[in-house]
Amino acid sequence: MSEAGVLSSTTGAAQAAPVVAICKAVKRFGGLTVLDDCSLTAQEGEILTLLGPSGCGKTTLLRCIAGFLTPDSGEILIDGRDTIPVPVNRRSVGVVFQSYALFPHLSVAKNVAYGLRMRATPAAEIATRVKAALATVSLTGFEERYPSQLSGGQQQRVAIARVLVLEPRVLLLDEPFNALDAKLRGTMQMEMRHLIKRLGITAVFVTHDQEEALTMSDRIAVMRAGRIEQLGTPEEIFDRPQSAYVADFVGASNFWEGVAHAGRVALPDGQSVATALDGPVRVMLRPHNLVLRAVGGEAAAWDGTIRFRRHIGALMEYEIEVAGGRMLRAVALRDDTIAALAGGDRVSLGVRDAAACVAFPPA
Amino acid sequence: MNSKPLHIRLFDEVFSGTGIWPAVPAIIVLTVVAVIPFGVLLSLGFSDIVVSRGVIVSQELSLRHLATALADPLYHTTFQRSITLALTTTFFCTLLGFPVAYLFLIGGPWVRRIILVLTIAPILTSGIVRTYAWIVILGGRGVVNGVLMDLGLISAPLRIINTPWAVVIGMVQIHLPIMILPLIAVMSRHDRRLDEASANLGASRLGTLRHVILPLSVPGLGTGASLVFTLSYTTFVVPQLLGGGNYLNAATMIYEQVVYSLEWSKGAVTAMILMATCLIVLALFAWMTHLATGWTRVAQR
Repeated sequence: MSEAGVLSSTTGAAQAAPVVAICKAVKRFGGLTVLDDCSLTAQEGEILTLLGPSGCGKTTLLRCIAGFLTPDSGEILIDGRDTIPVPVNRRSVGVVFQSYALFPHLSVAKNVAYGLRMRATPAAEIATRVKAALATVSLTGFEERYPSQLSGGQQQRVAIARVLVLEPRVLLLDEPFNALDAKLRGTMQMEMRHLIKRLGITAVFVTHDQEEALTMSDRIAVMRAGRIEQLGTPEEIFDRPQSAYVADFVGASNFWEGVAHAGRVALPDGQSVATALDGPVRVMLRPHNLVLRAVGGEAAAWDGTIRFRRHIGALMEYEIEVAGGRMLRAVALRDDTIAALAGGDRVSLGVRDAAACVAFPPA
Repeated sequence: MNSKPLHIRLFDEVFSGTGIWPAVPAIIVLTVVAVIPFGVLLSLGFSDIVVSRGVIVSQELSLRHLATALADPLYHTTFQRSITLALTTTFFCTLLGFPVAYLFLIGGPWVRRIILVLTIAPILTSGIVRTYAWIVILGGRGVVNGVLMDLGLISAPLRIINTPWAVVIGMVQIHLPIMILPLIAVMSRHDRRLDEASANLGASRLGTLRHVILPLSVPGLGTGASLVFTLSYTTFVVPQLLGGGNYLNAATMIYEQVVYSLEWSKGAVTAMILMATCLIVLALFAWMTHLATGWTRVAQR
């Protein structure tokens, strides 16, 4: 795949005017501040993901862009124009709902034709555009079916076709894979990404699933309590989290407590991590960045006891109790030496790549 | 085999909550209050009877009453009037009820509560009381005429009471809740995401109402219209009181035949014609609802 090409084009577009720009959006429900000074931009053709746990404000932000909600203050610009005064039905924004919200009383073709009919498009043009839209999502031949006669994946594709047929400037996707079973979800994620990239449409995508975000996105905005905690490419978010919150939410993490001196934190295995902090710190150790070795009688710089092990397909996951009763999680590709380790075994621990560890202030 | 004594086994069977047993009390009640009286009605309608001191002394099979009724021009005009009145009532109840149900749909929790209370409250008062209230409002010296005359819009009281329109006004007010309640039931199950999707696809509020909310309300409209039609077609109090005693509809006709002229067989025949025509109109409503809800019956995957 041309992931590298996609990335470079995104970097190239970063200088151009953003398609969606959110400036200092604030939204309160009663006394609860759901969006707190949120600022964000999405570039032409980019898939931008809003990632966070439920209640972090990601769906509220999406609904503000769609126009279902009006922010209490701040601006939402599409192509540089303020959208706040534009009513919902005049925004060039297409929403794919979590539940798809297909009209149950209309056939697939009529669902897709709905937006064109509302725009008083001539019947002949509706027919050709509906046909093309259904072909785009590989649903040719399903025109006369009703939504209740379709599988979850097919319903989702109708929801996408219904929006795409209107050629919106921005595509908004609200947790669109939630209703699908795990296996189909993976397929649909890839299909959706290819489709959006092929059409070159700008998309804002909401999810609470960090794996989905890493798969789908050009850039990810990790949200926390109504604020953007970090905005960056999946690689930046995963490898260089700017806070312990991001490190914990995206990918599993161990936090090892150490003390920083003169810009470095010494790890128990003898290596050290560079940091701008001083004093007590928490160091993020990704489970796959820990190396396990069986120990016999010889002393190890850092060791522990395997308390639990779990098969995850080609991977093995271990929970290791280290000094002080703390548990660390390690993941390794299952080869013969790794598979030989069992519960109760003593192992020595090492960090594979100290440069991939990040130090954060103590909690 | 089960070794328990017969009465214990019977007890277990009846209270097992399976089979037909749970429905038995309702079946008994319906047999006593509906099936038997209906049988009596049929037997009265299709026979010649001789009554002496309130007791039937002889009864012979005869189609005389039915034949007379079907040929009688008074029956034709009366039933025509009844059907027109019931359809007019149904029409206005739909016209007035749907906006209330729509308000219920788009309203917040308080709006919903208020609508529900205002809809149910009138049902708690007897229809006779509400009809008398209309006499006070619509009468020659009533509220409406008083206000219109005080405003100088009219010089003499309008004749509203004792006209067919007074009957329609009373009928609509009495039966409106019966239309609103099934509609509210449909609206409270309505998925508002569909309205959002519709707006997102470019529909105005009116477009969403016309193309999404209305088609999905058809089952409620069908139920409401059937109930209102049945009740207003067979009602007796409102035409009697607001029509000034000279407004003859099918129900008042039956009342007069049975109570005043003591022609039980004639009354029974009128009642049977009323029931039959009512069922025909209901079948028509059901057919229209059926046509508009084809999507609910497509083969599920």
